[in-house]
Amino acid sequence: MTSPFIEVKHLVYRYPDGTLALDDINLTIDEGEMITFIGQNGSGKTTFSKCLNGLFKPTGGDVIVDGHNSKTTPIVEMVRRVGYVFQNPDHQLFNSTCWDEIAYGPRNIQLAEEEVKERVEEAAHVVGLDKSYFKEHPFFLPKGLRQRVAIASILALRPRVIIVDEPTTGQDAQQSREIMDFLVELNEEHGHAIIIITHDMPIVARYAKRVVALGRGHILADGPTAEVFSHPEILAQTFIEPPQITQLAQRTQDQGFSPGTLTVEEMIAQYQQLTRT
Amino acid sequence: MSAVIEIKDYTWRYLYSPNPALENINLTVHQGEFIGIIGPNGSGKTTLAYSLNGLIPGQYHGIKQGGIKVLGKDVESYPTGALQKSVGVVFSDPEAQFTTMTVEDELVFGMENLGMSIPEIRERLEWVVELTDLSPLMLKPPYEISGGQKQRVALAAVLAMRPPIMVLDEPTSMLDPISRRRIFEVLAKLKREQRNTIIVIEHSLENLVPLADRMVLLHNSHLLLEGETRQFFEQMDLLLEKGLFPPGIMQFFHYLKQQGRYDGYLPVTVAEAAEKLTSLLEPAQEGKQ
Repeated sequence: MTSPFIEVKHLVYRYPDGTLALDDINLTIDEGEMITFIGQNGSGKTTFSKCLNGLFKPTGGDVIVDGHNSKTTPIVEMVRRVGYVFQNPDHQLFNSTCWDEIAYGPRNIQLAEEEVKERVEEAAHVVGLDKSYFKEHPFFLPKGLRQRVAIASILALRPRVIIVDEPTTGQDAQQSREIMDFLVELNEEHGHAIIIITHDMPIVARYAKRVVALGRGHILADGPTAEVFSHPEILAQTFIEPPQITQLAQRTQDQGFSPGTLTVEEMIAQYQQLTRT
Repeated sequence: MSAVIEIKDYTWRYLYSPNPALENINLTVHQGEFIGIIGPNGSGKTTLAYSLNGLIPGQYHGIKQGGIKVLGKDVESYPTGALQKSVGVVFSDPEAQFTTMTVEDELVFGMENLGMSIPEIRERLEWVVELTDLSPLMLKPPYEISGGQKQRVALAAVLAMRPPIMVLDEPTSMLDPISRRRIFEVLAKLKREQRNTIIVIEHSLENLVPLADRMVLLHNSHLLLEGETRQFFEQMDLLLEKGLFPPGIMQFFHYLKQQGRYDGYLPVTVAEAAEKLTSLLEPAQEGKQ
């Protein structure tokens, strides 16, 4: 068996002011996984992500990415492997053209301009950003496109793992699905492991294969989505409740519905099964 | 019931924009009503919120037709600052409304501007801090706290002023599910106990639907659908076609209706849905035995 791409062992992280943010986290992530991190505001999701890409160094324990321990590996080497897309794309976009924005990372790791060009074109192609936008100022694009530029700027570093912090906040239902479908495509067709941080439980139910629930600096649950959502009492500890359709199935378990029901389609299929005569 | 907001043949086009942001809108809101406004991004929801508290036309250039009355008076006829005592708006971007260096100052700022007495400010501050669970953050700068915390501060600052009409533009988009439900419980309590009129713009419908008396769908600058909440969602196919996703339990019961298995109202809460589903299945399962 090959070793996991990311191994987190007894990770402890304290903020400079002494606050304990992460306490003995153990987790492995394989190449090509699709995971969501859930948990209440302030549960340590973002802090944990920043430990995964080496931006934060562990106070205790280890984060090992592709054989590199984050304690001893320069951040340049870490961010090539784990990319982090900010919750608000405007917090990460600062160049005056989309081209420069996407080229910034590759240039920063001192690649030859030839290769920078190749990577920018590749990343733009993957996110579906047309060449005609290359000279546009990113701030004048709609949010969906700004987010794609932000993701492209991370992709240009060719990380194997991409962490996307709350990609659907402020997006309407249709836009949310478009963004998620795009992340699934990155995962399935390009093989990136994708970690999504979100509060949107219907989105988790529809798209996640594995869910990690964080609360008070600990991992409260880690497993397939249906299994994690089957334990509302654990989720409540970190201020999460499953989507309403799952709650309905849980309240009608005696009638034969599965507590791990995730979508309306699954609910309908079970109803058809139960009422078949 | 008296009308607190009357929108009549209202059209607004931002200067330099080729198309109106809102076109020919008609809507009357009564005192104590809880209205949910939904629609895709770009459909005009935020423009409507700005039009209700005078930001439009006050702070934006554009061309207006028709009119909006708040508490019986045209929006434009209010002196600067007076309308905002009646209509409080919580913005979708909480940072847009922060002006001070600590969370506590942020919460007090609005009340001071209303000229309230210090004992009353203190009393309301305690009330709102308790309600929105902000006490550990009082001395922190608002720009240093997390997205969800910022959103709670923005909401608390408006709640503290207790405006009779509150317009909330995606007030919970960054909150975890239980904090989100709690904010909606606070709104329900204000409506019940103080007869506040509440207008909420939201993408996430699961918490909004059980509380809303009426729903409004904006689409491409037009008011496409409006009605009492349960009746509104009877138009399930139209809503799905317009790219909106009604709550899962409503979609499920809509399916049951289409199949002729159910003919009542669409349930708005999980408890209601569970009860109805149980009673639907019981006779069927007894029949099997």
